[in-house]
Amino acid sequence: MDNNDISKLLRLKRYEQPPAEYFENFLAEFQLRQRAEVIHRPFFQIAWDRLCRFLALPSIPRLAMAGSFAVAVIATGSVLTWSDSETEGLTPTLTQQAPATNSPSQATKSSPAIQYVLPAEVVTYASRRSF
Amino acid sequence: METLDPSDNQLVERTQAGDARAFDELVVRFSPRLYGLIYNMTASHEDTNDLLQEVFAKAYRSIRGFQGKSSFYTWMHTIAVNMTINFLKKRNRRKTMSLDDVDNGILNDPDFIAATSNGDPSHSANLGELQKKLNESMLKLSHEHRAVVTMFDIQGMPHAEIAKILKISEGTVRSRLFYAHKQLQTHLQEFIKQ
Repeated sequence: MDNNDISKLLRLKRYEQPPAEYFENFLAEFQLRQRAEVIHRPFFQIAWDRLCRFLALPSIPRLAMAGSFAVAVIATGSVLTWSDSETEGLTPTLTQQAPATNSPSQATKSSPAIQYVLPAEVVTYASRRSF
Repeated sequence: METLDPSDNQLVERTQAGDARAFDELVVRFSPRLYGLIYNMTASHEDTNDLLQEVFAKAYRSIRGFQGKSSFYTWMHTIAVNMTINFLKKRNRRKTMSLDDVDNGILNDPDFIAATSNGDPSHSANLGELQKKLNESMLKLSHEHRAVVTMFDIQGMPHAEIAKILKISEGTVRSRLFYAHKQLQTHLQEFIKQ
């Protein structure tokens, strides 16, 4: 048995095919699976695909896409800056609270506590008021 | 297979534009050939069916990224071979191929006619046994060697095309084929001696 005989034998394997009706049903099965996949896909994946599809549209010029992206970045930055300035007066800081006792039952012994640092004018206003 | 077949190309473009029916046509067109490829690597009809579904599903999801640098045929075969090799690495078990469902077309094959032309029924039976032994020997090859043998000997693809699909040099394709044939010869010689 030489190389040629092996090749001839291997060529006969091309006849190992499923029945003809298999390929007729294959497409229908594929379509069913595709639909099932769409139904069971997570929302974020569908949204991501739609976004990719939208961005891949040839009718949208690349410059317009870049412009839209820049506007979105600027808008996000503006919103974040604005919200930062809104909360500027009240800044929470984490401080380590000193243990009051040596008892292990003290739950707050080693846990950090949030302490609000109030602006000076608020402290002054509060000290002038007598409740 | 250097240039894109116009019809395949048109169908790909229509699919990329959102026409799902165009992709259905590609499924019909490519499923028999890809079935042969996957089946001869997995040796299981069930696994082949599942894998073929997954191959087309992946191709459909990725078709927007297909830029036509290679033919769609090469692109589909690359997906199929990679997915099948990954599957085989995970499966890590071996099954014996069945020849029960050999297509009737074999009766018209010149190699088959030549091999059985002496009219001796025992000769045909031996050929069947030899074919069965060949399948067992195929399963002893590594996944990469089996892929090369399947594409070259069974599917009749040229070395250059196989090299593109597997992303290896033509020299590597030839050396893998040489090694695989040697291995198959060794296994079958043992059978013939018995």
